[in-house]
Amino acid sequence: MKRWKNRRMSGMWLALGMTGILALSACGGETTVGGGGETSSAPASSAAASDAASPEAPAGDFPTPNGGEVNLYNWTDYISPELLDRFESETGITVNLDNFDSNETMLAKLQAGGANYDVIVPSDYMVAQMIELGLLQEVDPAAFPNGQYIKPEFMDVYFDPGRLYSAPYMYGTTGIAYDPTKTGGEITSWTDFFDANSPAAGKIGTLNDQVEVIHAALRAVGAQPCSTNRDDYIKVEELLAGWKPGLAVINSDGVIGRMASGEQIMHMMWNGAFTRAQADNPNLQYVYPAEGITLWSDNFAVPVGAQNVDNAKIFINWMMDPANIGEATNFVGYDNGITGSSEFMTAELGANPAVVIPEEFKALAAPVPGCSVEAIDLYDQVWTNFKK
Amino acid sequence: MAATEGLALSIRGVSKVFPTPEGGEVRALDDVSLEVADGSFMVLLGPSGCGKTTLLRCIAGLEAPDSGQIDLKGTRIDDVPVWKRRVNTVFQSYALFPHMTVAQNIAFGLQMDKLPKDEVARKVDQSLALVRLSDLGGRRPHQLSGGQQQRVALARALAKEPEVLLLDEPLSALDLKLRRGMQLELKRLQQETHITFILVTHDQDEAMSMGDEVAVFNEGRIVQVGAPRDVYLRPRTSFVADFIGEANLLALIPGAAGAEVAGWGAIPADAWASDSPAADASRSVAAVRPEDVVISADPQGRFPIVDATFIGGDLHAVVQVGEATISARQPAASAAGLTTGGRCELTFRPGSVRIVDA
Amino acid sequence: MARRRTASAPRAGQGSWWAGLPGIAYLIALVLAPLVIIVIFSFLSRAKLGVGVKWEFTIQPYVELFYSESLSGERSFDPTYLQIFFNSVLYSLITALVCLALSIPIALWIATRPPKWRTLLVFLVTIPFWTSLLIRTYAFVIILNDNGPINGALTGLGILAEPLPMLYTPFATIVGLVYSFLPFMILPIYASAERFDFRLAEAAYDLGATKAKVLRRIVLPAVRPGIIAGLILVFIPALGSYLAPELLGGGKTSMIANVIAAQFGASRNWPFGAALSVMVLVLVMVALVIFAVVARRSSRRGANQSLESLL
Repeated sequence: MKRWKNRRMSGMWLALGMTGILALSACGGETTVGGGGETSSAPASSAAASDAASPEAPAGDFPTPNGGEVNLYNWTDYISPELLDRFESETGITVNLDNFDSNETMLAKLQAGGANYDVIVPSDYMVAQMIELGLLQEVDPAAFPNGQYIKPEFMDVYFDPGRLYSAPYMYGTTGIAYDPTKTGGEITSWTDFFDANSPAAGKIGTLNDQVEVIHAALRAVGAQPCSTNRDDYIKVEELLAGWKPGLAVINSDGVIGRMASGEQIMHMMWNGAFTRAQADNPNLQYVYPAEGITLWSDNFAVPVGAQNVDNAKIFINWMMDPANIGEATNFVGYDNGITGSSEFMTAELGANPAVVIPEEFKALAAPVPGCSVEAIDLYDQVWTNFKK
Repeated sequence: MAATEGLALSIRGVSKVFPTPEGGEVRALDDVSLEVADGSFMVLLGPSGCGKTTLLRCIAGLEAPDSGQIDLKGTRIDDVPVWKRRVNTVFQSYALFPHMTVAQNIAFGLQMDKLPKDEVARKVDQSLALVRLSDLGGRRPHQLSGGQQQRVALARALAKEPEVLLLDEPLSALDLKLRRGMQLELKRLQQETHITFILVTHDQDEAMSMGDEVAVFNEGRIVQVGAPRDVYLRPRTSFVADFIGEANLLALIPGAAGAEVAGWGAIPADAWASDSPAADASRSVAAVRPEDVVISADPQGRFPIVDATFIGGDLHAVVQVGEATISARQPAASAAGLTTGGRCELTFRPGSVRIVDA
Repeated sequence: MARRRTASAPRAGQGSWWAGLPGIAYLIALVLAPLVIIVIFSFLSRAKLGVGVKWEFTIQPYVELFYSESLSGERSFDPTYLQIFFNSVLYSLITALVCLALSIPIALWIATRPPKWRTLLVFLVTIPFWTSLLIRTYAFVIILNDNGPINGALTGLGILAEPLPMLYTPFATIVGLVYSFLPFMILPIYASAERFDFRLAEAAYDLGATKAKVLRRIVLPAVRPGIIAGLILVFIPALGSYLAPELLGGGKTSMIANVIAAQFGASRNWPFGAALSVMVLVLVMVALVIFAVVARRSSRRGANQSLESLL
């Protein structure tokens, strides 16, 4: 859904057929990360891992590393390879990494069966839906040795109260990026973003993401995301129709480059991507729109049918170590849900209001539960009509 | 321009050079001049690669000469694009349009002239009748025999009523029997239509039997032009003498009593053709037809018979004379005693030996 | 034309039907089976939460193609998907025609080069296939954007004051599609033109035809099989284009493939995505039948109007 995926392949279904080798290598193909492996690290690693696993809390019956492997199914470009190398050398467990490009792709693959993954990384609403579909194992990450580090506000989340199925990874927001020196005015809201007479008209871009765009449009017309009130959608359709002539591009790829170069001067953007564009173009500003902003979070979970459950638990626990996840944050540019990890973040990242939500905007940022199928259909109808 | 009166075509000093793939060049036409009388049947005769087809293509406009001038009915045409020349060609491959019917093939050229529809239809019928293919107008070329395709190609070109019709080896793809028939057919068409025909061929018999005039080509040049009989009887060069019919080319050496054939002796005065140029040091080759060589068996004769063969009713003999051989041909009736390995005496018929350019 | 073969003697390559088995198995497993699955899915219901299908028969997906409950709550005819199909056909048709206009001179030019040059030139035409379409399409993002080489040259030379917006327009989509599919038009036309007997062109000149007439009445009818093959090879895959409208068109005008992709992704409506795919299949078949009929009719009528009627 989000991340800094300038290389992301959306809609792999058809792209796969059309683009052949590149699509295959981008979306699929298991990659063994590191690979030093099992022979060298088995004895040393158990000691290292038990260090990491149980400095304070007694391990109880938490497993200890004993070689083998763990199959990780993650978003493209969403974890540092060096970090995985370090996990392998500390635990002696080999990580096999496979990538997906959307929650729906990941869900479809798991539902089809035959996929062999031990750790997956679904977003918030997807966790809820997978629990409902009985696709996740109740491994109780809150009770892991490092479960104590889960930030309190990430503990009783709507999609997994008490963290019985999932452990927090990164979180972020989908907001507005703009260049005040070019738009000539301040942008503070979704209403400003969708304004048909915006001074940025002609140089506006948006993500090619029907959920996020229509969430935002619903907010702009005074409704709530996932509304099932048809009147709201009539207003949304009007809003979008008036906005489209000034819209240059609907594309989730290459947003960073387009904003950094000034090709577009206002864009719906993920905050992690924003920080990278801002590094090239310091004029850019990130907006927490007044109507509210989607706070999304991604999570580690263990799917039903996982072959290496113990190694999956060891991996998730290891990732909840503040030092380790802090390193992950520095790589992807998003903040995470683990207490104490900010000590390990780079100073720029920690001080960037786009990454760490400032106090005054915290109330605006709230997670949006997955919409009902009824709402999804309305989203689809409006979106298809918008793009026809 | 008085000289062009009565001329269909006048070619003056035309040259054409082609580059070869190896980087050299081939002089396909070397200062060629030719006049073709209106309404005549001109045959360009020569071995393959002698430039005759190139000349035809220059007239048609499919090649541009490097230099020289071509006039059609007194008007210069070598700078006129091909589609504007009132000249049409019957190609060696026929080049019928495979996706059109016979009638459409013939109509094509008329449509290019923007003739009204009924006029086109009338002329197509007329042309089909002329080549006796009236029933086949609806066929496709591939449904026709070679001879029929040939006639369609003719009809297509004739329908345009060109000032000059060019025929590029039109009969070479036909078998012998059909060829004879088509030769007569072409002659008939030419006489009926009064169109000037220029036909290219390497077949001397075809040239002899069809042409009002024959232009003999060799190595990019026209070596002799004239009526077929005239060219046959009075070849001007050894090439013409040998290419048209058969000829013994006698190397002459100066002798006390005039030109001598080495190993035979001085040619007697009555053997010379009456209009032959005189022999001199620079013109040292004479031609004589085998049928003008008379041999008689003579055990004490000076000349051994290398070979004696009866072909049809004639004896073909090869006689060793000095270093060279001379062919002779005479009726079997007068060939008694002439056998391979025998000896003979040899004379030339009166008026039969002619000086030619080497 | 050919004499009828006498029936008895077996000929090489004949009668060994089992030699075709691997091919048949391949076709069944990898071509037919997916098609059957798509057709079946198009008659099923949506799974819980929309990802996947539920084994309950319905024709709802096909109804959705034409009727929808409008936002004001009325159930009525909805031209949205028809319009997207129309967009796709229009873009594909324009692509095919532009490819045709570009390919005829290119193919004829190649066919009239000396043989050793022809081999090299045909080889050059196929070079784009060495790289993934995705990468080549991204290259056009760079070429066409406001700061790209074309706009850089135009503004740098003072021809334009402002960059001409080309990227994220229908123009860019067409440019991308034409670029992607051009070799599929050039190659079959070249294959026809290469067999063309250029003496026929000489004969036509000789009969008084100008260059334009020779091209239209002699050369084009002769390369017509190549033209028809090229039109099919371009038009039909272009219908399923995904990348060009997404990356170059800026995602603002969907082609049918983009809508289908969304149904299997964010829109979570697999049966409807399958029904749209079936409609594409039907559309392609209709197009093929039209091509076949036009091709046959024009060849029966002969050269006179063949190409005009085809186009």
